[in-house]
Amino acid sequence: MKILHLYYDLMNLYGEYGNISAITRILEKSNQEYELDKLTINDNIDFSAYDFIYIGSGTERNQKIALNDFYKYSEEIKNYISSNKLILMTGNSFEMLGKAITDCNNKMYMGLGVFDFVTIEQNKKRYTSDAIFTTEIQENPLVGFINKCSEINGIELPLFDVKMGIGNNNNDNKEGLHLANLFATHLTGPILIKNPYFLEFIAKRLSENTNNFEVCTDYLKYEYLAYEITLRELNNRFENK
Amino acid sequence: MKKFFTILLCKALRFFGKLIGKGSSMPGKIALKFCPDILKKIQLPKYIIAVTGSNGKTSTVEMIAHILQKNGKKVAWNKEGSNQIEGVTTLILNSCTLTGKVKYDILLIESDERFAKYTFKYIIPTHFVITNLYRDQLTRNGHSEWVYDAIKESIHDETQLILNADDPLVSTFGYGKDNVIWFGADKLSTDTEEFDGVYNDGVYCPNCKSPMTYSTYHYNHIGHYECKNCGHKRNNTAFTINSADLQKGEIVINEKYNISIALKSLYNIYNILSSFTVASIVGINENDIADSINNYILKNGRVVTFTLGKRQGTLLTSKHENSISYNQSIKLASDDKDGCDVVIIVDAVSRKYFTSDVSWLWDIDFHKLNNQSIKKIMLVGTYCNDLAVRFSYTDIDNSKIEIIQDIEKAVDMLNNDRKEKIYVITCFSDKEKFLSKVKVN
Repeated sequence: MKILHLYYDLMNLYGEYGNISAITRILEKSNQEYELDKLTINDNIDFSAYDFIYIGSGTERNQKIALNDFYKYSEEIKNYISSNKLILMTGNSFEMLGKAITDCNNKMYMGLGVFDFVTIEQNKKRYTSDAIFTTEIQENPLVGFINKCSEINGIELPLFDVKMGIGNNNNDNKEGLHLANLFATHLTGPILIKNPYFLEFIAKRLSENTNNFEVCTDYLKYEYLAYEITLRELNNRFENK
Repeated sequence: MKKFFTILLCKALRFFGKLIGKGSSMPGKIALKFCPDILKKIQLPKYIIAVTGSNGKTSTVEMIAHILQKNGKKVAWNKEGSNQIEGVTTLILNSCTLTGKVKYDILLIESDERFAKYTFKYIIPTHFVITNLYRDQLTRNGHSEWVYDAIKESIHDETQLILNADDPLVSTFGYGKDNVIWFGADKLSTDTEEFDGVYNDGVYCPNCKSPMTYSTYHYNHIGHYECKNCGHKRNNTAFTINSADLQKGEIVINEKYNISIALKSLYNIYNILSSFTVASIVGINENDIADSINNYILKNGRVVTFTLGKRQGTLLTSKHENSISYNQSIKLASDDKDGCDVVIIVDAVSRKYFTSDVSWLWDIDFHKLNNQSIKKIMLVGTYCNDLAVRFSYTDIDNSKIEIIQDIEKAVDMLNNDRKEKIYVITCFSDKEKFLSKVKVN
C-alpha cells in the first residue's frame, strides 16, 4: 500500500498532517503494511504508484505555488481519478482541479481542468464557520471548520449538503466535490481525526481497492466521544441561533 | 462645537460606564457614531507608538508604559486591552482636554492586527512595532498572510517601523524603507540547528516562495533565515539579545545591559527587547531602561501562582487557537527540573465567539511534554477527548495521562499529597473556572 501526502510542507494551514496520521494509524491497527511518501513541488511523481493521495489546505499564495507545480500532472490526475483510486483533498486544494482560479487582484491561474468549475477569490472578507455537513455516502454527518476567501461556481457533483456552515459559494447549500473515489471539501484541518466514521469509510474504500483487508476500528474510543461532543455543541449552536 | 460635545460625551460615558462596570469600547463606539472623523480633530502628542502582532502585544505595551512612566513620561495607553478603533477612541478622547489636545507626552496604542487599518486612518503613528505573525485564531483571523495583508494596509509612509528581524514574514514589512529599526536575538544557547516542531511556517520564503535555509532556530520559524533565491534574509539588528539564560533568568541586551527576567520564556524576552527598543527611541537613558525593566513582573495576570491544599501551582495563561503560545507554556513546564504535574484545560475554545474547532491542538508541540520531569498529565474540560486523541499521537506513556471532563472533579483529584508542582495550561476563556476553586497566592 502506498500513501502520498502531496505538498505536505506548503498546503498545511492548520494541523492537516493529522489526516495522514489518522490514515496510517488505521492501517497499522488493521495490520496493513504501507509506505508513506511526503512530496512537494519540484519532485517527480508517478501518481499511478499510489493507493491514497492527500492534499491539504494552504494560504492563497501557497496554493498558487502548488498549482504551478500540480498543473503539469493534469493527465495523470485525470487517469488516477478515472481508475477509481482514492484521493482526499481538503480546504482550497481541490480548487486546483477546476478550470481556473482568479485571485483578489483579478489575476487568473489556469487549473488542471479535470472539472469545469471556476473559483474566484477576494481579499475583503474571510468566510469562516463551524460546519455540519450531511452526505449520502454515510449516515453520520461530518463536523469541521471552513476558512476561506473564495467562491466556487459550476460544481455538478458536490459531496455534502450544508446543514450548518458555508457551501461552495454563498448561494449554494451544497459543498465539496465527489467523483468516483475523489472526495473533496473545503473543511480545513484534520477532518479524518475529527470524523472517525468518515475515516472508517475512507479506510473501507481503500480496503475494497486493494486487498480487502478488514478495517479495525476498535481503538477509536476517544475519537467517537470527541465527535459526539463536537456534534452536540454544533447542533446546540445551530438550533439556538 | 461638535468636537467639544463628542469629547464631553465620551468622557461622561466612560465615567458612568466605569461605575456600572461597562467595558472601555462602548464610549468610543458611541462617540464615533456621533462624529465619525473625531480622531482627525484631535491635537496629538509628539510620540504616537503603536504595537501590533499575533503574540505579546499586551505585555509589550504594559512594559513600554512601565518604563516610560518610571522615567517621568506621561503616557496614555489602552491598558484595558480594548484594541480596536472603538477602544482606541475611548482612550484618546479620555486623554485629551475638552478642546481636543492630548495631555500626555506619549500616546501608546495596542492595536488589533486585522483592524489596525481603521484605527490608523486618522491617527498616524510615529512608530509602529510589529512583534510577530503566527498561526493565531485561524477560525477568526484566516491565516498569517491574510493578517499580514491587513496590517500592510494600515502602514503609512511617514511612520517609522520597529520590526522583529527574526520573523521572516514580519521582516518583509521593511521592504523599500530605509529607516526601519530592527530588533532580534543572536544565536542563543536554547536554539536548535534543526527544526523540531510539528509544523514549519519557515520552509518557504515569504517574499518569493523559494525554499529558505536557517542557520539557527530560536523557536518555530523565528530565527536566522536566508533565501538564496531572492536574497531575503535576517537584517542586522540595532537592538539585540546577545544571550539568554532561561534557567537563571537573565538576558543580555546590546552587550551591556544584564536584565533579570521574572517570566523565563523566550517570547517574553522578545517583549522585553521591543519595549527596551521603544523606550530608547523615545530618548530614555538605556541604563535607566535596564533598571526599570529589571525583574519586572507583568501585571496583566498571565502567570498566576496558586495553592491547592498542600500543593503549589502555577497557571500559565496560554491562548487557545495559538500553538506558539501553548508551546511556550509547554517549554516552561518541561524545563522545571524539580518534577511537575501538568494540567491542560480546553473547556470553551473562545470567550469572545463560538467555535468548537480544535484543529489547533494538532499544531502544538505536545510531544515535548515527553520528559522525565513531567510525572502526570491531566486533560480536562469539554474537549478532553480531543486532547486524549491528540496525546495518543505522541510517545507519551499512557499511564501518565488522566482524562477528566469536569473541572471541579479534576481540582478534587489534584488535591492530594503529591509533592510535584502543578502547572495548569489554559486560556482566558477557561482560567477562572480553575482559579475560582483554588487559593490564588
